[in-house]
Amino acid sequence: MKILVSAKRVSDPNAKLAISGDGKWVEGDVEYVMNYFCENAIECALALAEEHGDVETVALGIGDSDETGRFVRQGALARGIDRGIVVSADEGTIDSDLIARVYQKIVEKESPDLVLIGKQSVDGDSNQVGQLLAEYLDWPQATFASKVELKGDQVEVTREVDGGLEVVSLSLPCVITADLRLNEPRFASLAGIMKAKKKPLDEYELDDLDLGDAAPKVRIAKMTTPSGRKSGVLVKDVDDLVAKLRGEARVI
Amino acid sequence: MNPGLAVLQARLGSRFSTDPEHLRTWGCDWTRAFAPQPAAVVWPADTSEVADILALCSHHHLAVVPSGGRTGLAAAAVATNGEIVLSLDRLQHLGPVDLAGRTVTVGAGVANQALQDHLRPFGLWWPVDLASKGSAQIGGNLATNAGGLRVLRYGHARHWLLGVQAVTMAGEVLELGGPLVKDNSGYALAQLLAGSEGTLAVITQATLALAPLPGPTQTLLLACPSLAAVVETLTWLRGRPIVIDAFEVFSEFCLQHVARHTGQRRPLPTTAPWYALVEFEDPQSLEIDTILTGLLEGGAVSDGAVAVDRQHSARLWQWRERITESLQAFTPHKNDIAVPVAALPAFGADLLAWLDQQPHPHPLPVAVFGHVGDGNLHINTLRPAEWTTERFALACKSLDDDLFALVAAHRGSISAEHGIGLVKKPWLHLTRGPAELAVMRATKRAWDPQGLLNPGKIFDL
Repeated sequence: MKILVSAKRVSDPNAKLAISGDGKWVEGDVEYVMNYFCENAIECALALAEEHGDVETVALGIGDSDETGRFVRQGALARGIDRGIVVSADEGTIDSDLIARVYQKIVEKESPDLVLIGKQSVDGDSNQVGQLLAEYLDWPQATFASKVELKGDQVEVTREVDGGLEVVSLSLPCVITADLRLNEPRFASLAGIMKAKKKPLDEYELDDLDLGDAAPKVRIAKMTTPSGRKSGVLVKDVDDLVAKLRGEARVI
Repeated sequence: MNPGLAVLQARLGSRFSTDPEHLRTWGCDWTRAFAPQPAAVVWPADTSEVADILALCSHHHLAVVPSGGRTGLAAAAVATNGEIVLSLDRLQHLGPVDLAGRTVTVGAGVANQALQDHLRPFGLWWPVDLASKGSAQIGGNLATNAGGLRVLRYGHARHWLLGVQAVTMAGEVLELGGPLVKDNSGYALAQLLAGSEGTLAVITQATLALAPLPGPTQTLLLACPSLAAVVETLTWLRGRPIVIDAFEVFSEFCLQHVARHTGQRRPLPTTAPWYALVEFEDPQSLEIDTILTGLLEGGAVSDGAVAVDRQHSARLWQWRERITESLQAFTPHKNDIAVPVAALPAFGADLLAWLDQQPHPHPLPVAVFGHVGDGNLHINTLRPAEWTTERFALACKSLDDDLFALVAAHRGSISAEHGIGLVKKPWLHLTRGPAELAVMRATKRAWDPQGLLNPGKIFDL
């Protein structure tokens, strides 16, 4: 069995970002971390491989080739993923649709039985790639997975839906998008970091993938920072508080 | 009732309180061994109000306990005897950052984290990094000469102190030092206040030296078979061309408590008696390879986790930073000792042998963690649930007698960074001689002749 798993780097959600003058991208030194949901997808792939044996795991990263390569190696291969693939692309302009089509081409090359993708990136927050990919491949999909169990040629996925859980059964091959409660990701080990250096990492350019039209369909028109939080006020007493909650905040 | 109380109340209005809830909260620090019993809490708005309050208290012969973020672990900020608690919570001034001189002047009540947030946009920080940085205040950091997680690289709070504004018990406002890097003109009184535990004057404002934020760092969690292996690893790393920011240690027992407290998955698939958390400024990647290979092949490390990004680094640090809170439910008796780093393996062996020979029918559980790079270990004894506070206190007292004798035998200190306060007062004489203590007492009398400022802390007069 073969599992293809996503390994996307994102700007650190805890860092403050500065928006560039034209409002279309961020500027200055951006610190990157592995996308939280990709961490869950990677952990899920590793756990399935440990549980079932005879599973090959492959991580795919798309973006700046050197930096994405480093993330795939340290964030995925050092934790135990067998191989890496990096597709070089400009992270500032590539959109979810193009990413899904890159995945499609890699799936056609690799023929995995299962694609595990973070449900969304914590910087772009688009939540589209897994769904688009399933459509392009015409594969079944389960989104927002909080539990994944392999049962023969079926996968049983517990999904987090509004107000509860839904358990669905899919036939392989399929696409699953990982949610935060799926698992708790492991750390890379000392030995894992050393082993990762010798693991294969294939690199592609967008042009290598026969994508047809590789122009993005969505462009960032404008980004703005959230408006600052209003400063608090001191209330005199409980009556004053109630009056303000009712009159100004209108929450009661 | 002392008539001074009514005068204070009239002067301060709602910034004076005798509400029992306030007395309990502001009357103590993180220690629980002494019951807080202050007469009142006051929250002055600025330095001149601090001066007014202290002059008034002097006049009415009211004792005063200065209080910061109340995260101290030596009961130096506990009011047990009808004192006025003087909270510096409202002294929140954050001055402009002096980029040329790399200094900033801030109010004593500014939380350590708030200061760091103020400095970060300038690429600077005040390199006193505490697990309790959200609450701990700058005034308290200085008055206790706080250490924390980066002492190995940066030293204690006093290394980053240029000047203070402080108020004496008589109500005199002193401007000691300032944004001067060089100032050899008489006694360095600001430095004397660092570590004075609020017994000499009340710090109201401080001028601090700042450091550039460290570059990208590499965080590792290493599993080691013995304390000797931990020190061997430190020695080996110190020989490499890297700048070590932190080198912390904790026992498997601590790790188990954090795992239970946080519900997190263990950081390593294997277990070991000791873990070292190491952080160093990231050299070129080539160097890291040789470091990781060296650690792996050196034999002193049995396993290790590597943070591959900042989020992982923060997660690894949790295993060290959350030890104290994970032990809190066991009302631990805390010790904060230091021995010369080179003596750590021998001290550790003696310590473990001594713990094994505890004379009690049920040996008390002991959590050991701390800052190996500084030779500083926090030794926390946990109270079994079925033991009364009194029985536990008695047992700890006898444990402390043995422990401190062991520390003194290894030429260590009975209080590496927490201070003496009330908690360690009985043992100060073990490592400080009579002549030295006499000079300390004379110094106290010179600053506070009536003995009203934080009385009974560090030593009795």
